[in-house]
Amino acid sequence: MASSAINSGALATLQELNSTSPHFKQGASLRVTGRLQEFSVETAVALIVDGNATLKVDTQHLNLNLRLGSIYQFIGELLIQPNNEAILKARVGRNVDGIDLNLYYQSLKLLREFISDQMSSRSS
Amino acid sequence: MATDALYNTHVKLLAFDFLSLTPAPSDPFAFTRPSGNLLLTRAETLGVVTTRELKPDRFLKFSVDDGTGCIPCILWLNHLTSPYFSRRNPSDVRLVSEAATRFASQVQLGAVVRVRGRITGYRGAVQITVSDVVVERDPNVELLHWLDCVRLARMYAFTLLLMCIRKQ
Repeated sequence: MASSAINSGALATLQELNSTSPHFKQGASLRVTGRLQEFSVETAVALIVDGNATLKVDTQHLNLNLRLGSIYQFIGELLIQPNNEAILKARVGRNVDGIDLNLYYQSLKLLREFISDQMSSRSS
Repeated sequence: MATDALYNTHVKLLAFDFLSLTPAPSDPFAFTRPSGNLLLTRAETLGVVTTRELKPDRFLKFSVDDGTGCIPCILWLNHLTSPYFSRRNPSDVRLVSEAATRFASQVQLGAVVRVRGRITGYRGAVQITVSDVVVERDPNVELLHWLDCVRLARMYAFTLLLMCIRKQ
């Protein structure tokens, strides 16, 4: 049956958002998770980090109280600027303090393996 | 395991799996996966609310994004005016209506919700006609939902495979 009109935010880690990644595409809908390191009140641009990877997030459409050091999850579209720097224009965001990031990465790996298995069994 | 073993059960489904359901040829109320013959009529999803369209006293349409797809959901809010409910006990209808109004106020953009309801088709797409909404506060609950969905899907597939082998 037909799918819904709104794009799902594909689950992506900040480490995966480099120019060789399939997620690194203009307009890609993504869901990213990271710790808030910087936030500009003037521009509403946040910088989130995960390990040594970072991503700018445009939060101007969100009604969210941001707190430095807290972990946030954002869903939105990736905007790749001419200098190849990416910024996520967030549609929704939420505080996920308390998330078990190790469990998150392990679950994401299992989820991807399962989806891949299902897709290949459907196409065979 | 019979093909109707999960009939009327709220089956936990990932969105990519849910969106692949098609109407069952043998049953006007049931849907099936592309690779299986299990009849499904009800589903449970959990994810972030990413769209919300409210028509007061009529319905709330919203989408739940679980990271694998977006499931369209419809929550009816017309219990007190619809002829469909006119032959039911008015106090029961009022309780259902109050619950639906409460659910509608809880479904907000960015919230993580667990939604249960009937699988229905609308304009060629599958959706959930909502009967129950729970707002989840624990950020780890979504991960547990993914793992539950994977485990259950593998278990159903394995059981169906065993049934096929036994039949041969």
